[in-house]
Amino acid sequence: MDLASIMYLAVTFGLFVIFALIVGNTYKRKNKQKKEAPKYRMMDDD
Amino acid sequence: MWEKKPILLMLMATAAILVGTTITMILPFVWVNTEADRIEGVTPYTPLEQEGRDIYMREGCNNCHTQTVRPLVAEVLRYGDYSKSGEFVYDRPFLWGSKRTGPDLARLGGKYPDAWHYQHMETPRSIFPKTNMPAYGWLSNNALKPDKVRRKMQVLGFPHSEAQIAELATKNEMDAIIAYMQKLGSDIPWRQTGRTEIVGELRNPFSGADQTTLAGWRPLYQSNCSACHGTNMEGGIGPELVGDYYDEETLFRIIYDGIAAGGMPAYANLGSERVWQLVNLIKYDQSTGD
Amino acid sequence: MGKPQYHTDIVKSFVNWSLVWGVVAVLVGVIVSFQMINPDLNYPPYFTFGRLRPIHTNAGIYGWGVGTIFAMFIYMVQRLCKTPLWSLGLARFQLWLFNATIIAAAVTLLLGYNTTLEYHEMEWPIDLMIVVLWVVFSINIIMTIIKRKEEQMYISLWYMMAALIGVAILFTVNALAVPVSAFKSYSIFAGTNSANVQWWFGHNAVAMALTAPPLAMFYYFLPKSTGVPIYSHRLSIIAFWSLIFMYLWTGAHHLLWTPIPDWIQTLAMAFSIMLIAPSWGSVINGYMSMKGQWHQMRDNYLVKFLILGITFYGLQTLQGPMQAIRTFSAFIHYTDWVPGHIHMGTMGWVSLVSVAGIYFLLPRIYGREVYSIPLANLHFWLVVIGQLIWSTSMWISGILQAGMWNAMNADGSLTYTFTETMVEMYPYWWIRAIGGVIYLIGILVFIYNVYMTVQKGKEPAPKLLEVEGRA
Ligand code: HEC
Ligand code: HEC
Ligand code: HEM
Ligand code: HEM
Repeated sequence: MDLASIMYLAVTFGLFVIFALIVGNTYKRKNKQKKEAPKYRMMDDD
Repeated sequence: MWEKKPILLMLMATAAILVGTTITMILPFVWVNTEADRIEGVTPYTPLEQEGRDIYMREGCNNCHTQTVRPLVAEVLRYGDYSKSGEFVYDRPFLWGSKRTGPDLARLGGKYPDAWHYQHMETPRSIFPKTNMPAYGWLSNNALKPDKVRRKMQVLGFPHSEAQIAELATKNEMDAIIAYMQKLGSDIPWRQTGRTEIVGELRNPFSGADQTTLAGWRPLYQSNCSACHGTNMEGGIGPELVGDYYDEETLFRIIYDGIAAGGMPAYANLGSERVWQLVNLIKYDQSTGD
Repeated sequence: MGKPQYHTDIVKSFVNWSLVWGVVAVLVGVIVSFQMINPDLNYPPYFTFGRLRPIHTNAGIYGWGVGTIFAMFIYMVQRLCKTPLWSLGLARFQLWLFNATIIAAAVTLLLGYNTTLEYHEMEWPIDLMIVVLWVVFSINIIMTIIKRKEEQMYISLWYMMAALIGVAILFTVNALAVPVSAFKSYSIFAGTNSANVQWWFGHNAVAMALTAPPLAMFYYFLPKSTGVPIYSHRLSIIAFWSLIFMYLWTGAHHLLWTPIPDWIQTLAMAFSIMLIAPSWGSVINGYMSMKGQWHQMRDNYLVKFLILGITFYGLQTLQGPMQAIRTFSAFIHYTDWVPGHIHMGTMGWVSLVSVAGIYFLLPRIYGREVYSIPLANLHFWLVVIGQLIWSTSMWISGILQAGMWNAMNADGSLTYTFTETMVEMYPYWWIRAIGGVIYLIGILVFIYNVYMTVQKGKEPAPKLLEVEGRA
């Protein structure tokens, strides 16, 4: 593999990891209450 | 985490936006418009042409006309050789457009004689009665401003001589926009190299057609040729058409390939059948011309 | 603790002015659609198709679209942050600058000061005005968010912040030019680079002005109108990050088959298809929020506007990726099909959601019930029918046009000359123009309803009463 392909794979992989981290963090069971809270709180703003 | 920290969230959003931006918008500068793109023969616009280009932009011709030919069979047949990156290096900005209400103009230069353009710009409907292109005759009333154009050429860094600038005083906006149109796409010699070859022997498929059949083909002449050769082939922008001057085969070649140097457009895109009908009409129809 | 004193007068003003520019945009749209049928309707030098079309698009996107964005963001940010707007003075300045900018843009475009960059046609002095306008707006919104009383931010705020940043970056880069005189400049980018930068801007103007802000509104007004929270806040978060990440890669789908390097085109194509996921993330979130609430489609006209809006968004984000595929693009690019796509997005998605927002606001900013719900329903049907006629006629004519452009005879020659193909478009351009007139009537009904609400609307139920004492 040449340098360009390695860079390409590294970037793609890196992005994928970031995405997985966001999904993981968002959907962690422990976080459920917290992450869903705003949708209830926004209902009583007026 | 970030859902409680707006600044952090915005920084992250900026980072997300910048990834695709860097790769697809910034990175290409490394390759585009570099030496590798350069095409011999592509020259900057002259003062008259550049001013014509600016008028084209001012009038928003790009809302109806595109300026890039894609490498697709029907498109190359209709407009000419497909566009290359190097042809646009002096275009600030590009004028490729996004809508073809009118035809593509990327290969317009040299397709028609100047006289055709003057007539078409003045009254497009005199050439195509059903076109929706607006009339631009009023451009002839507007003089050019040499000093302004000089300044533009300096900002663009295009070569120009004082003689060229001085000459502008004698021209109007119509002259400028037509000069620009004659420049479009003609920096590469595609007309000479790109001709569609007619292969095989040429044989008139309509030999001996009677006068009524011929009369049925007259609308074909009226819609494509009469603007230049007159309603009765008596001549106008192009010469009078006299059937006896040429044999069938030569006539076919003239119409099919055009006479690039003389301002006679090529009509290969009508298809050989219809070109043969025109040949027969010119040579044998007794109601017109000779 | 008392309720925060929200500023609503400034919201009223933005709503009113965006309505004015919206009517102008649609009216000019109708005019240009007739000019395409009859060129005698061009009155040179100012009122020609070439000069009016950019006025239509910019009045639509900036006057109507961004005008409502200003109104809605200022309204929403205060509620979602439970705190008054950071600076009322700044917002008032913004209102004046906004109108001055739109007027300056319209006048200069009529005069022919046109950069030809789509949705960026204004010359550099107006660009400067727009930059100041956006900075002033952003500071106000961001400062309000920073000073918020609600710790955790609702998804609408996320989309709002992304839009603020996105537009700022995109607009500024595409504006880079060397001035020659007060109203003429040359882009610093040339040829193929200029094309690539323009459509990186152009497509993301769609993302940051016509997608993210209406999504912010949708996520706010749907639960507010139905009385039921959004289905999943977490889904909206995933969709958010994917959407703002992916959009920026796709600009070159406007440039398929052109001299742009192939790899950029391929990336654009791939990311356009991937974009279906985050787009439909929001669509599904909207539909799921309606679980058990579908009867509201009948009873509640606000829901009707919102759900039809998100449905058009869903269709738009399936059709868009399809257009981004090389083979399909080869066929429909440059044809009438594309305006069909555009107007489903602008007249369908953006306008329906904005209008729902305005109906929702009326009782809350004016303290009056909406004058007539039957009229609101009439408005709904007129704009939906008008838009469907508009888009459908263009999809049909686009396919017809593409078919004729590509038709070839057995001997390899083209079947039709260009003018033979264009005359076939006239019937469809007529149908479109009629669709446009129906739509325009719908808008006039809307304006009448708004006007009567302000003049004659009844006092609302006490719950809605919260007209502020000051400002
Ligand atoms: C409303 C759309 C519209 C606008 C605006 C418009 N055109 Fe056209 N143009 C057309 C149509 C349709 C045709 C094809 C029929 C014809 O030649 O009139 C055409 C044809 C042409 C042709 C002939 C091309 C060929 O290969 O035969 C030229 C040259 C041209 N236009 C130049 C211009 C210029 C320059 C402007 C701006 C000053 C302009 N057009 C503005 C619609 C438009
Ligand atoms: C844009 C204007 C224009 C149009 C349209 C046009 N021609 Fe011509 N045509 C010319 C000009 C100019 C010449 C003279 C070229 C030369 O001799 O250098 C010419 C020459 C000819 C000749 C040779 C005549 C001679 O005596 O040398 C024939 C034949 C001819 N055209 C046929 C046609 C036919 C058939 C059509 C329609 C399909 C057509 N032309 C459309 C401009 C036009
Ligand atoms: C009655 C309503 C409307 C009518 C009759 C109308 C008409 C038109 C017409 C005739 C065109 C030119 C199409 C072409 O060149 O083939 C156009 C283009 C456009 N319109 Fe509208 N329009 C309407 C509403 C809107 C609204 C509300 C918006 C935006 C918020 C909008 C945004 C646009 C845009 C962005 C384009 C550019 C299309 C392109 O670049 O290809 N339009 N419109
Ligand atoms: C996943 C989402 C989307 C994708 C992949 C997409 C794709 C495309 C493509 C490929 C084109 C170019 C068509 C052509 O010229 O051949 C286009 C044009 C356009 N789209 Fe979309 N689209 C999407 C969503 C939207 C939305 C939500 C809107 C909102 C109004 C919108 C508005 C426009 C406009 C205004 C243009 C015209 C640009 C021009 O002037 O040429 N699109 N879209």
